[in-house]
Amino acid sequence: MDTLSFLLPPFIASLILTGIHAYLGVHVVERGVIFVDLSLAQIAALGTTMAVLYGIEPHGMGAYAVSLIFTFIGAAVFSTIRGHQVRIPQEAIIGICYAVASAAAILAMSKSVEQTEHLKEMLVGNILTVSWFEVGKTAALYGVVGLFHFIFRKKFLAISMNAAKAEADGINTRLWDFLFYASFGFVVTSSVAIAGVLLVFCYLIVPSVGAMLFSERIGPRLAIGWTMGTVVSAIGVYLSLKIDLPTGATIVCTFALVLILMAVFRQLFWRKAATRLTTAAPNSPAAY
Amino acid sequence: MNYSFNSNFPWAPTERIPFNMKNLSVTRDRSTLVAISRVASATNRKVRQNMFKKKYCALATLLLAVIPLQAASKINVMTATEDIAALAREVGGDLVTAEAIAKGYQDPHFVEPKPSFLLKLQKADLLAVVGLQLEIGWLPPLITQSRNPRIQPNQPGYMDMSQYCQILEIPQGQVTRAMGDVHPLGNPHYWLNPDNGRRMAKALADKFGSIQPANAAQFAARYADFDKRLTEAEKGWDAKFAPYKGKKVITYHRSWPNFCERFGLVVADYVEPKPGIPPTPAHTLDLINLMKREGIKLILVEPYFDLRTPNSIASKVDGQVLVLMPSVGGNKEITNYFQLFDYDINALINAFAKLK
Repeated sequence: MDTLSFLLPPFIASLILTGIHAYLGVHVVERGVIFVDLSLAQIAALGTTMAVLYGIEPHGMGAYAVSLIFTFIGAAVFSTIRGHQVRIPQEAIIGICYAVASAAAILAMSKSVEQTEHLKEMLVGNILTVSWFEVGKTAALYGVVGLFHFIFRKKFLAISMNAAKAEADGINTRLWDFLFYASFGFVVTSSVAIAGVLLVFCYLIVPSVGAMLFSERIGPRLAIGWTMGTVVSAIGVYLSLKIDLPTGATIVCTFALVLILMAVFRQLFWRKAATRLTTAAPNSPAAY
Repeated sequence: MNYSFNSNFPWAPTERIPFNMKNLSVTRDRSTLVAISRVASATNRKVRQNMFKKKYCALATLLLAVIPLQAASKINVMTATEDIAALAREVGGDLVTAEAIAKGYQDPHFVEPKPSFLLKLQKADLLAVVGLQLEIGWLPPLITQSRNPRIQPNQPGYMDMSQYCQILEIPQGQVTRAMGDVHPLGNPHYWLNPDNGRRMAKALADKFGSIQPANAAQFAARYADFDKRLTEAEKGWDAKFAPYKGKKVITYHRSWPNFCERFGLVVADYVEPKPGIPPTPAHTLDLINLMKREGIKLILVEPYFDLRTPNSIASKVDGQVLVLMPSVGGNKEITNYFQLFDYDINALINAFAKLK
């Protein structure tokens, strides 16, 4: 049972990640800003690097504060670039931010006096070595963010699903976009610190995509996403132990396998049901 | 942000105990079957099954009783790198089992944690690390999460080998930006000087002796023998390498100051402008000019770095790129501490001979 006690914190951590990311993923996929998490995580990492450049301890509160400030600046940028008349796709801006933040971090490191060789690794967590303290802290933080999103779910969903309509209804889209990206950036930065970039990206996007195969409505999509995330976490952690592979990467590949299985299943058995569903309820999303 | 996969699959996780159990149970199976066939006519099926179960129970109890005893008699040593494991085997012999987390062909700066590392660390009596922040990117959380109180830092079961060795490139006094890149604790690649190997072996022998006082004399004797063999080997390496003393080389990463100092090579510059920072155009140009000016032809590279930049530099100065092995286990030929130096010195001699 020793083994189990080692794998319990990573498993619980992955459930927490599933909980918040499968939900945020619905927004992200709906908005079509797939790589926004990588971009925000990189901007946060740039913040930490800048803090280290000025002699701040990388794991202290100071560096964390700086990285949060950077994340919020990124959130502000992403919320202002969205306009319905603009021809430039948002993904382009997100990509540019990612590349520039990565490059700027390299520049900052090359000017640093301290040994920055390991900074990259220190910023990216590994889900296998997550501690109970981190699990508890993350659960509490995400609980607060989740509650915030639950209270204002109508506004958040309205701007994600149909921004033009939301604006017509009198919602301040700039403000709510900023609040969305700020809370999202906060979550992603914390998640990357415990689970690494690849895994966080998967928890965000794959459950949402898997759920879209089977349903168009938000409620069922969330249910499918959460179920998928939980099942994949369990299988991934188990396989990582059995075959002795790096835990995070194993979960990522398990996600891909399960997604393929789901797609095959849909192709074989779901076609009829899906067509029936769309004819019965044409274009009626946002039934939370 | 870089996310590096590494490709060390567990090709053959040969754990001795389950293997024995398998062998044993096979032989016991046969004898059980023979016994069963003899009494089969006289007994019914149920009794037979019961006997089967009992035999297995007895066998299992026997194994459970024997294995911990056997395991307890050996010191279970985990090390960060294969060099330390190799030294532990030299002085520990049959009395210790030593296993490294980072394999010799892996970059010890980056290791992807796997569940088995935690299980192994949990059972370890002793953890010996390189220290000087070499493993800072991956080892500290593994130690914490192993929940093994013996091997936590500052406990008797935690050994920072750098404390016993001569460390180069330790910054003196206040570190300022004007000094450029400075490693705060000194260069962590110190095991590449045989004298530091000797110091580590001594420290390990002493530590083993303190863990098992009954065998302390044996560890001391094994160390004395290792010391003698190493001194002998060093004479051979020195004699072989004497013609190349004072030669200038370029190295990719700062992995070789101890090796070069010991064997009389001069490191003129590095391909990396700073550790972990990719080569910049200005620095690469400076490097090419320096190599042309001083007639430097050899660039030493660790096996885990990309060879493209070194190759392009070498092609511009009619030089050569040589992949040296920084650790035991870097390739299949290098299985102990002696072979590490044998390999590197022979490789260097061949390269210098070719360049002439």
